[in-house]
Amino acid sequence: MKFEAQTGGETLPVEVVGAAGRFTVTIGGEALTVDARETAQGIWSILLHSTSAVAAVTEQDGTYLVDVEGERYAIRVEEESRYIIRTRGGHGGARGQVLKAPMPGKVALIEVTVGQPVVPGDGLIVLEAMKMENEFKAQVAGTVKEIRVAAGQPVNPGDVLVVIE
Amino acid sequence: MSAPFGKVLIANRGEIAVRVIRACRELGIRTVAVFSEADRESLHVLRADEAVPIGPPPATESYLVIAKLIAAARATGAEAVHPGYGFLAENAAFAQACLDAGLTFIGPPPAAIRAMGDKMAARRVAGRLGVPVVPGTEQPVSDDAEAAGVAARVGYPVMLKAAMGGGGKGMRLVRAPGELAGALRAARAEAAAAFGDASVYVEHYVEEPRHIEIQVLADAHGGVVHLGERECSIQRRHQKLVEESPSPFVTPEMRRRMGEAACRVAAAVGYVNAGTVEFLVDRDRNFYFLEMNTRLQVEHPVTELVTGRDLVRDQLRLAAGDKLGFAQDDVTLTGWAIECRINAEDPFAAFMPSPGTVTALRAPGGPGVREDTGVYAGCTIPRFYDTLMAKLIVWGPERDAAIVRMSRALAEYTVQGVRTTIPILRRILAHPDFVAGRLSTGFMERLLAGDAPEQAGRHRRIALIAAILTAYQRADRPAPGAAPSATPGPWRQALRPGWRNR
Repeated sequence: MKFEAQTGGETLPVEVVGAAGRFTVTIGGEALTVDARETAQGIWSILLHSTSAVAAVTEQDGTYLVDVEGERYAIRVEEESRYIIRTRGGHGGARGQVLKAPMPGKVALIEVTVGQPVVPGDGLIVLEAMKMENEFKAQVAGTVKEIRVAAGQPVNPGDVLVVIE
Repeated sequence: MSAPFGKVLIANRGEIAVRVIRACRELGIRTVAVFSEADRESLHVLRADEAVPIGPPPATESYLVIAKLIAAARATGAEAVHPGYGFLAENAAFAQACLDAGLTFIGPPPAAIRAMGDKMAARRVAGRLGVPVVPGTEQPVSDDAEAAGVAARVGYPVMLKAAMGGGGKGMRLVRAPGELAGALRAARAEAAAAFGDASVYVEHYVEEPRHIEIQVLADAHGGVVHLGERECSIQRRHQKLVEESPSPFVTPEMRRRMGEAACRVAAAVGYVNAGTVEFLVDRDRNFYFLEMNTRLQVEHPVTELVTGRDLVRDQLRLAAGDKLGFAQDDVTLTGWAIECRINAEDPFAAFMPSPGTVTALRAPGGPGVREDTGVYAGCTIPRFYDTLMAKLIVWGPERDAAIVRMSRALAEYTVQGVRTTIPILRRILAHPDFVAGRLSTGFMERLLAGDAPEQAGRHRRIALIAAILTAYQRADRPAPGAAPSATPGPWRQALRPGWRNR
């Protein structure tokens, strides 16, 4: 099965064959024989040659965040066919900003109103969780199109907070 | 030895409640846990002999409601209450309410809590006893002109501090006279919001200080000893991350003088039980009294590992009226201990809190490793409380051995489901300044200002394999609604300047 893997600004063609813990993973033309087991959800034990490594994988917004030995890698893996369709299809919806809650918490403060123009760096909303609070800022210039939450309201990960157009 | 109490209620949650339960178990004392609706399945509830619900998740409706805690103690027949740290641990009204209800408060007398709770009054006590304090005001400054006068007298930079402060709230560093008015306004507003009291005082700011504290134990018969120091200079936004005992900076002579000063302060306020006297230490090894924490500290285990004492057991004994049973000369420090705080925060995303379900957990073990935890695989870390989920503590015969042991233990620690501070702790332990013992409260700021964590690092190939195989497995059995969005993690950038404590 063929994929495209993107990490650190690089796109690598990838192919995987195998099953039941035994795989051949070809990354950028280099074929690697791998013994890999998912020993708990998202935790992989990988034997590569004689090296034993443990990697923890979580998914976030379509990207895999992989922690190995205190390092973190953001890797996006797509099936080759899907990658080709997406990259040939041009850039759709890259304008504006949809601010989503990254974790469960509570809306401490809303700093904008619908219709208000914003520039990158303007404060949009303050979230509170675990006795800490943080301000989320506009990343694009535009107009606040929607505010989908109210101050004091609890939010869950992925909830849309503010939409900028 | 007979048990000091038959039954103790623990007015806390998380790892410290579990820690207290352990000491009680070893003494044959029955334990009562209290829990909010968010904590029914938390570890302290599972470990206690009895457990009493005390209300909705917000602490203001549960763990901070004195009447509910007293009622729980009465209902279960507990004779004593251990407050842990945080919540009501340094609340004199709570200590008094326990006494009024005929319960033993496992901590100092209310008067001692009050005497040390007002930071300025505490400084005056220290000053009277001849214990050095950082030059500054002894009363809150009344207006901008007075603040400017004091700042000029003690010398810039100055620190503005909330009189009732703690945890970094209401604090502002001012480097030049022009910044003073704005900083005063901000500090007053923050102090008023956090503590209901806008009083602010001004003191000289010690550059690149070390934060070193002395553990004291006092009995109700006039006996006071100290158990040496803990160095807690590795902090981010006034929150400690790594602590150790002894300090690589403290000489035996300095330890003796700091210890005597700490005991003098404790004796002067009629202190009984375990307490900690905090000092700032400058580059020339001058130490200045900062404050006294009238409770057990988060980082107490490092003292336990080098002194061989069980501080919670000592707290229980002392609260029951026992004598210390040992003298200052009996206290020896053996080897070196380091503690790392494992917080549910994402160090790769500006320390964003990361509540949620711990889906997998492999704790380290082996020689010289201790884990004090409040979590287990499958439990959910609620979003209502602080982020401390566990503490990893190691002992080694000397500092270098303790450092490599901690690095080894951190490498063994696997947590899935929530983000943790483990990666940043590994970087701290590997940093040349940490290894050399060159510590200061500015350490973290410099570490974090450095280049991004080893992104182009050594394990890229393993990471790629793990990501690719995850995708390969998914392609076999597609997850519902797992269509990738167009841009990866836009909020990550938006996180600057990072989460701050409220």
